[in-house]
Amino acid sequence: MDFNTEKDVVIKVRNLYKSFGNNKVLIDFNLDLFSGECVAVLGKSGSGKSVLIKCIIGLIKYERGEIKVLGNEISELETDELDKIRAQVGFLFQSNALYDSMTVKENLLFPLRRHKRNLSNIEVNSLVEEALDNVKLPHTANMMPSELSGGMKKRIALARTLILKPKIILYDEPTTGLDPITSREISNLMIEIQEKYKTSSVLISHDINCVKIVADRIVMLIDGTNYKQGLYDELKNSNDIKVTHFFN
Amino acid sequence: MEAKESKNFLKPIYFVLNEAGEITYFSLRFFRLIFKRPFEFSEFVRQCYYIGNKSLPLVAVTALIMGLVITIQSRPTLVEFGAEAWLPKMVSVSLVREIVPVITALICAGKIGSGIGAELGSMKVTEQIDAMEVSGTNPFKFLVVTRVLGTTLMIPVLTVLADAISLYGAYLGTNIRGVVSWNLFWNQVFDVLVYADIIPSLLKTFFFGFAIGIVGCYKGYNSQKGTEGVGISANSSVVISSLLVFVLDLIAVQITDLLGFT
Repeated sequence: MDFNTEKDVVIKVRNLYKSFGNNKVLIDFNLDLFSGECVAVLGKSGSGKSVLIKCIIGLIKYERGEIKVLGNEISELETDELDKIRAQVGFLFQSNALYDSMTVKENLLFPLRRHKRNLSNIEVNSLVEEALDNVKLPHTANMMPSELSGGMKKRIALARTLILKPKIILYDEPTTGLDPITSREISNLMIEIQEKYKTSSVLISHDINCVKIVADRIVMLIDGTNYKQGLYDELKNSNDIKVTHFFN
Repeated sequence: MEAKESKNFLKPIYFVLNEAGEITYFSLRFFRLIFKRPFEFSEFVRQCYYIGNKSLPLVAVTALIMGLVITIQSRPTLVEFGAEAWLPKMVSVSLVREIVPVITALICAGKIGSGIGAELGSMKVTEQIDAMEVSGTNPFKFLVVTRVLGTTLMIPVLTVLADAISLYGAYLGTNIRGVVSWNLFWNQVFDVLVYADIIPSLLKTFFFGFAIGIVGCYKGYNSQKGTEGVGISANSSVVISSLLVFVLDLIAVQITDLLGFT
């Protein structure tokens, strides 16, 4: 892929600084996500990966720096404006975050009813069906989240993320807690979705297999900074022990 | 050494004041959002159903037992003074003015308060609250405002029902040892009960309901430390809201006394 122009950038992070008390999590972190690509942010547990994407979606306020999503500076947006941006940015939570008290269908309807109020019931039902078909779980609409396996929950969470047809998807550790086979299935599903809907995505993970399958480019988040970035093979063959440590 | 001791002594006071401040701020946020669109009406109705309907059996059984027990316990003392005929009057005033509202509120603090604390706590630790925010919903409005309104409106309704059931229990209790006809019992009850008994006791239950809802939501919404935090939220919701029920009751009694409703 060739990404050169500023116009192609859908997420731009500059000099991002975030600390919790004395713990400096992100120190002048930079990131560019170009249209149609998937960037993986690789780092150890507790290195600030999840904090980064929660800052991008506006769930965590950052202290310094700049985050532009689809050209909008996140920290300057009013709640309504932020909601409009959020409708275009899907977020797959590490814990899936399915609403326990709602069925699968109600879970999918929740964002739909809030962001797209003008849709008829027929359109809504067809979007739900499409989202469930995308994740290959068309028969689960009336099931409760507690009746689903870990892999199924992840797929439904992905379906809920997809239902608004977002331009960008932020994946927070999508394969954590899954067996290797299910992890591979989820990774393949992520590629299918990216190809089908032409989404751009940021993948937060320390699962190197998932990163290898899904990511076009990798950014190493070490000591709060974007320590190094490059293609999978470039980083794997790097001489830097801090980098190669992740690939062995 | 002395300075260290005084610091340790001040720590619980600081904690209590801090919690009081945080709950007050949380309550102000509730009042700020209550009239702001969009109104989560269907969620509010669902919460009312859940809070009212699901708590009714427990409240009803407890109210019946309270009516029975208070009547049976009071009888010997009244017999000693030759005032057995006053039993329905005395028991009904005690039940309606004080015992039923407070006991109903305490039961609701245990059942509803802990339920809200645990539910919101688990939603917090499993990122469901964040997911709601990302979905374009104000989670405070959807989760907190609907629940607090639900408890504020449903606990008075439960109290009225509990009043009626406890008086029926009192009727049964009166007839265990003595014989009082249905009509005579209710004539005596409504002879002694006036609006000044019923309205203040009903008004305070709105405040009990608000306290139970806001404390449960505050504890759950600010839950931390993973699943351990959920347990802590549920537990502290019950402890704080039960304590608040007694404090509010004390304030209500003082106010009704000042206003001459005693």
